[in-house]
Amino acid sequence: MSTRDLNLGVEVHTVKSDEGYKLPVISNAEPAPARRQWRSIQERNADPALADKAKDEFPPGAGVFSAIDRRGFLQLLGGTAAIAGAAACWRPPEENIYPYTRAPENIPGVPQHYASTVTFRGFGQGVVVESYDGRPIKIEGNELHPGTRGTTSVFEQAQLYKLYDPNRARQLRHKNRPQAWRQFLAEVNALMQRHAQDGGAKLRFLVQPTTSPTVASLRAQVRARFPNAKFYAWQPVSEENARLGAAAAFGQPVDTHYDLKNATIIFSLDSDFLTWDPDRLKLTRQFADRRVPEAEGGMNRLYVAEANLTVTGMNADHRLRVKPSQVQEVARALAAALAGAGLTDLGQFGGGTSLDEKAKKFIQAAAQDLAAHRGRSLVLAGLRQPPAVHALAHAINAALGNMGQTVSYAAAVTPEIDDGIASIKRLADELKGGQIDTLVIDAWNPAFNAPADLDFAALLKSVPNTLYWHYYVDETANACNWLAPAAHELESWGDARSFDGTASLVQPLIAPLFNGIPLVSFWAAFTPMAEKSAYELVREFWQGRGVDDATWRKYLAEGIIPNTAEAPITPTLDMAGVSRALQAATPASEGLELNIIPDYRIYDGSFGNIAWLQELPDPVTKVTWENVAQVSPATAKKLGVEAVEHGTVSWVKLTVRDRTVEAPVYVAPGHADDVITVSLGHGRKDTEEALASRHGFDAYALRFTDAPWFQGGLKLEDTGRPYELAITQDHWTMEGVTGEPRDMALMTTLGGLEQFKEVEIRRNRSTLRPDEVMQEPYKYEAGAVNGGDATLQPTGYKWGMGIDLSRCIACNACVIACQAENNIPIVGKDQVIRAREMHWIMIDRYFIGELDEPEVAPQPRTCQHCETAPCEYVCPVNATVHSDEGLNDMVYNRCVGTRYCSNNCPYKVRRFNYLHWNYGKTATEKMMMNPEVTVRARGVMEKCTYCVQRIERVRIQTRIEGRPIKDGDIVTACQQACPAQAITFGNLNDTNSKVAKAHADERRYDLLYDLGTRPRTGYLTRIKNPNPVLASATQTPAHGAEHH
Amino acid sequence: MSALFPKHTNTLARVSLAIGALIPVAAIGGLMLYVRTPGGYGTGHPAEQPVQFDHRHHVKDLGLDCRYCHTSVEQSATAGIPPTQLCMGCHAQVWNKSPLLDPVRNWYFTDRPIPWKRIHNLPDFVYFNHSIHVNKGVGCASCHGRVDEMASVEQVATLTMGWCLDCHRDPSKFIRPKEEVTNLAWVAKGEPAELGLELMKKYDVHTRTSCSTCHR
Repeated sequence: MSTRDLNLGVEVHTVKSDEGYKLPVISNAEPAPARRQWRSIQERNADPALADKAKDEFPPGAGVFSAIDRRGFLQLLGGTAAIAGAAACWRPPEENIYPYTRAPENIPGVPQHYASTVTFRGFGQGVVVESYDGRPIKIEGNELHPGTRGTTSVFEQAQLYKLYDPNRARQLRHKNRPQAWRQFLAEVNALMQRHAQDGGAKLRFLVQPTTSPTVASLRAQVRARFPNAKFYAWQPVSEENARLGAAAAFGQPVDTHYDLKNATIIFSLDSDFLTWDPDRLKLTRQFADRRVPEAEGGMNRLYVAEANLTVTGMNADHRLRVKPSQVQEVARALAAALAGAGLTDLGQFGGGTSLDEKAKKFIQAAAQDLAAHRGRSLVLAGLRQPPAVHALAHAINAALGNMGQTVSYAAAVTPEIDDGIASIKRLADELKGGQIDTLVIDAWNPAFNAPADLDFAALLKSVPNTLYWHYYVDETANACNWLAPAAHELESWGDARSFDGTASLVQPLIAPLFNGIPLVSFWAAFTPMAEKSAYELVREFWQGRGVDDATWRKYLAEGIIPNTAEAPITPTLDMAGVSRALQAATPASEGLELNIIPDYRIYDGSFGNIAWLQELPDPVTKVTWENVAQVSPATAKKLGVEAVEHGTVSWVKLTVRDRTVEAPVYVAPGHADDVITVSLGHGRKDTEEALASRHGFDAYALRFTDAPWFQGGLKLEDTGRPYELAITQDHWTMEGVTGEPRDMALMTTLGGLEQFKEVEIRRNRSTLRPDEVMQEPYKYEAGAVNGGDATLQPTGYKWGMGIDLSRCIACNACVIACQAENNIPIVGKDQVIRAREMHWIMIDRYFIGELDEPEVAPQPRTCQHCETAPCEYVCPVNATVHSDEGLNDMVYNRCVGTRYCSNNCPYKVRRFNYLHWNYGKTATEKMMMNPEVTVRARGVMEKCTYCVQRIERVRIQTRIEGRPIKDGDIVTACQQACPAQAITFGNLNDTNSKVAKAHADERRYDLLYDLGTRPRTGYLTRIKNPNPVLASATQTPAHGAEHH
Repeated sequence: MSALFPKHTNTLARVSLAIGALIPVAAIGGLMLYVRTPGGYGTGHPAEQPVQFDHRHHVKDLGLDCRYCHTSVEQSATAGIPPTQLCMGCHAQVWNKSPLLDPVRNWYFTDRPIPWKRIHNLPDFVYFNHSIHVNKGVGCASCHGRVDEMASVEQVATLTMGWCLDCHRDPSKFIRPKEEVTNLAWVAKGEPAELGLELMKKYDVHTRTSCSTCHR
C-alpha cells in the first residue's frame, strides 16, 4: 500500500533505508521526544556500530548457517527435496496405540493438579503441580500457601527441569562400583553399629539445613543413638549474620519477619529482599501492592544503599552507591540522623562521618522520612552484612516503633540455625585433626562451595568413610566413597515448613526416574527404621501428631497443614548488645574491594545445571550462561578495562590474598566505584553436570572464612585478551523502527503523573482511526452482525493483556514460566551471541539518566497481538493470521520460514528456529514437554500465543458446562507465575474484567503507539515516588526534540 | 561435409524435450492426484490388528454403547482405548477358553499393553478434542462411519483439513440430538439442516474456523 491510499489526519513521511526501499511511517502530529532511556552503554553513547547492527533485518550472524557453505547447502537441498518427496508419496508410517492393562484412576488426556511442596533454601514453597497422564509438566504456586501465595519465582519453576535433568545421578555407588540400596543399608548398618560402640565419637554429619519435621525427628533419633557424634549444618548463602545480629540485639537468635503491607517508607541496608529474603514471594507481592498510585495507604517509598545494582535496587526510588563494607557506616549515619530527628535513643550508635556529602544528604532525607512515618516504616539489613548492621537495624526499627507493626520476630523454623561459615570451619578443624572415621553429608557440594582457605575437598579425601546423598555426581561425590542418588521432591514423600512455619506435605507426582532415594529414607538408614518406606515415615510422623486419615487427605489436597505457623514473640532490645556488636565490627576497607553475591540465575550454584536458568538473562546485567566481574564505569575507566566493543569485554585476573581467578569484566551502570562484584556458583569443573561446568568462573575460590562476602585488597590485572559474552541487552531492539528515538517504558513520578497524563500518556495511546492505519484491518464477523465497527470486535471474547510497569520488579519469573508452559527450547551460548535466543517474553531493562546513577525501568515485552498486525500481511503462506477473537495466531505447520513476519514486526517479538533445537532430546527431556503445545521444528517462526492452549482448554470446559468464560478462568503462564501480579489477562469486552480495568486505567499506554498497530497488550506507566528533597532522574524532563 | 545428424533427429530431439518437460509435470501432477485417492487419504485400509476384535459383534449384535469401552470420550480430548482389564471384565466369564483371546489373556497377565494399530491418525499439530464434539451433538458415526458394520475398523472419512472445515463452517448438516450421538445407525428424519439449525441454537453451537481452534 502506498502513502497515496492513506487518508490521514496525521503526518506521513518516508524513511529511506540504505537498501533503498521506502517504508511508510505514520506519526501523530506531536513528535515523540528524544530517547533518554538506554539498555546498554553503547546505546547511550549512540555507538554507530550498534546502530549499524540494529539497522539490519536480523542481528549479525543470526541468519548465517555456519556449518556449511552455499554450494554444499544447495546440494543437500536437492537431495533432501528428492528424499522428502519420495517419503511423502506413501501413507504415514503405521503407529501403535498402547492402552493400559489396568486403568489408572485419572481420565487419560485430562490434566490433573496436585498440591505439593518444593524447598528453596530449606523453606517449603507450596506449589500446585500439573500432571498430564502421569507426567508432571508444570509447577504453579499454591494460593493457600503463605510462602508462595499462588505465585512462583524462577527457582520453583526450575524444579521441573531439575526433575527431568538428563545429568542426574542414576546409580548408588561405593568407590565407583554400583551398589544396591539393600547392600548399602547393610553396609551402613554394620558401619553404624561399630560407631555405636563409642557413641559415635568418630562420626560426623554435615547437613543441609532443613525445615522438614520428619527429617528433624529422624535426625533427633540419630543424635540419640550417637550421643558423641556431632552435627554441622552448612549452606553457602546462610542467614548466619542475621541470626547473630538478632542474638546481639535481643539475646536470642530469632528470625525476622517483615510485613510490607503497612510499610510506607522502606530503607534497605544492602538487602536484596525482593530476591533473597526467605519470604521473598510474600514481600514482592506486598511491595508491588503498594507501588501503584491507588494503593491503600498510598505508594511506598524505597531507599536502598548497596554496591552492585540489585533487583531491589532497580526498584528503589532513591539509591545510594556505597562499598559493601561502607554499609555499616551508612547504618550508623542513619542512626545519627534519626537521633537528630528526635529518636534520641539512637544517638549512641551514631557514626558514619567518613561518608561523602551526597551520602549524608541521602541519609538525612531518608531519616526525616522514616522519622515522619513511625510505625509505618521499615529498615532491612542484607544477609551479607555483618551482625552489627543487623543489630543496628533492629535498634532503629525498635526506636521507630516498627516492632509489631512492620516487623515481627519468631523462633527459627530451621532446627539447624548455625549453618554458616563458623559451622563448616569447626568441622574442617576436626577433620584436620584426623580423628574422624565417618562423615555423612547431605549438604550441597561442600567440596566446591566451602570457603577457599579450608581446602575442603582434600580434607574429605582424608576421611576413611564418606557418605554423600546428592542429586548429581559432583565435586563432593567424586571425593566421597558412597554416593546415594537423591530423589527429586516431586518423586518423594516428605514435608517442609515455610518461613513463617506453616508446614506442608511433599507429595510425589511420579515414581523416582533414576532410583533416587528420598531425603527421609536416607536419614532413616541411620535409624532402626531403615526398612520403612518414605511414605510410612512421613505418615507415621504426622500420625503421631494426631493426624487421622481423613485429615491427612485434606492436608494433601490443600497443600498446607493449618495452624502450624510459628507464633510471633516480642523480644526485648538490648541496647548494650547492639553497642557491643558495633564495637566488634570491622572498619570499612581501603582500595579496590571484592564483593561476592548469590547469582540471580543459579543462586549458589545448586541450580547450575538447569538449562533454562543458564540461558536466562540476568535481570541486572542481561548476561547469559556465565558470571561476570561487574565494575562501575568510572572504575573501569580508571583500571583501563572498558568494554572493547559491544559484547566483547576485557578478560582480567582478580587476585585477593593468594587466590586468583580469571574473569570477564562487565561495565555495570549504577555500580559503586572501587568495587568489583562477582556472583557465586559458576565455573564448575569436576562434575557430571554438563551445563554447569561449561562456562563461567568460580567465585568460591575468592571466598574466605573471615571474609565470606566482601573484603578489600583486591588486585585486578588486565590480561589484554578480549572475551565474548552472550549479553541480550541490545537484542531485538525496537530502535530504528520509526526512525525516532523515544522512550519505550514510560515512567514518571507520583507528583508528575497529572501532567504526564495530559501530554505523554495521551500521546502514547493509539488514537488512530481504523482508516488511518497502514493496512486493511481485520473485520470481525461479530461486528458486522451487530452493526458496530467491525474492526473493533464489539462483541465476543476480546482477549487482551495488561502489564503494569509499576508493579513489575524484573524478577524473570514470567520468562521461565513461559518457557516451561510453551516448550521453548534453549539454544546455548554461541547461539545467544547471534541473538537466536527463543524466549517468547523478554524483560527489557532500561536505564534512565546518568551512567553512574541511573534509574531503572523494566519492561516485559512479548507479542502485542495487534489489531492490524504488520506480520500478518507480509506472510506469503498465511501462517500467521488473525483469529475471530483478536489473537494473532501462529500456524507452525504452514510456516515455511521466510521470516518476513519477524522483519515486519515492530516489536521484534518473533523467534525463529534457526536450528532444530529440540533434536536429540533425551527420554526424560521429552517427558517434560507440554503435550498441549506443538514442539516446533527447524525453520519455523514462533512467538507468544497468549497461551492459546489455556484459552482453548477453558473454552472447551466452559462450553461443555454451558456457561460463559468468567474473568479469571483463563490465566496465562506469565500471569500465573508473576509474584508481583503485574500481568492481567482476559476479555476486554467485559468492562468488569481486570484487564478491561487495566486498559481503562489512566496510566495505560500503547507501545509504539504511532505505527497504527493497535496492540491488544496495554502497558501501565511506571510510577516512582521520590522524596521531593532528593533529585531523581525520573523528574528530569526529557531533553527536548532537538533530534528532529 | 554431410550433416552429422540426419534431419529426422530434429523431431526426435523435440519429442525428447517435450517428454523431458512432461516428466516433472506428470510426477508432481501424479503425486497431487495420488494424495486425493483413498491411498493418499489412508481410507479403506483395515489394518491387521493383533486381536481379531469385531465391532460388528460387540456393537450390533450385543448392543454395547460406544462409551462402554471408549470411556473418556465425553470428558477428554481422547476417546480412550479400553484397558485390557475391561476386556477381561467380560471375558473372564464368557469365551474364557477361546483361543482367539489367548493373546489378550497373555498380555493381561503379563501386564503388557495390547499393541493396537492406529487407524485414525491426525497430524501432531492438530489438537482434536472428542469431548466438545460429542457434547455438541456430533455423532460418532459422522467421523468414524458405521463401525458397527466393520469386521475390522478402517478409516472412512478423509480426515483432511478441508473435510474438518466442511463441518466447522456449517455444522447444521452434521448435528444430531445428543442422546443419539452414539447411535451409529441414526439418520435425521426430514431435512438434516433444519433439525441441525434448531439443535445448533439449543446446544449453542458456534462455527469456529480460526487457526488456533485446532493448531496451537
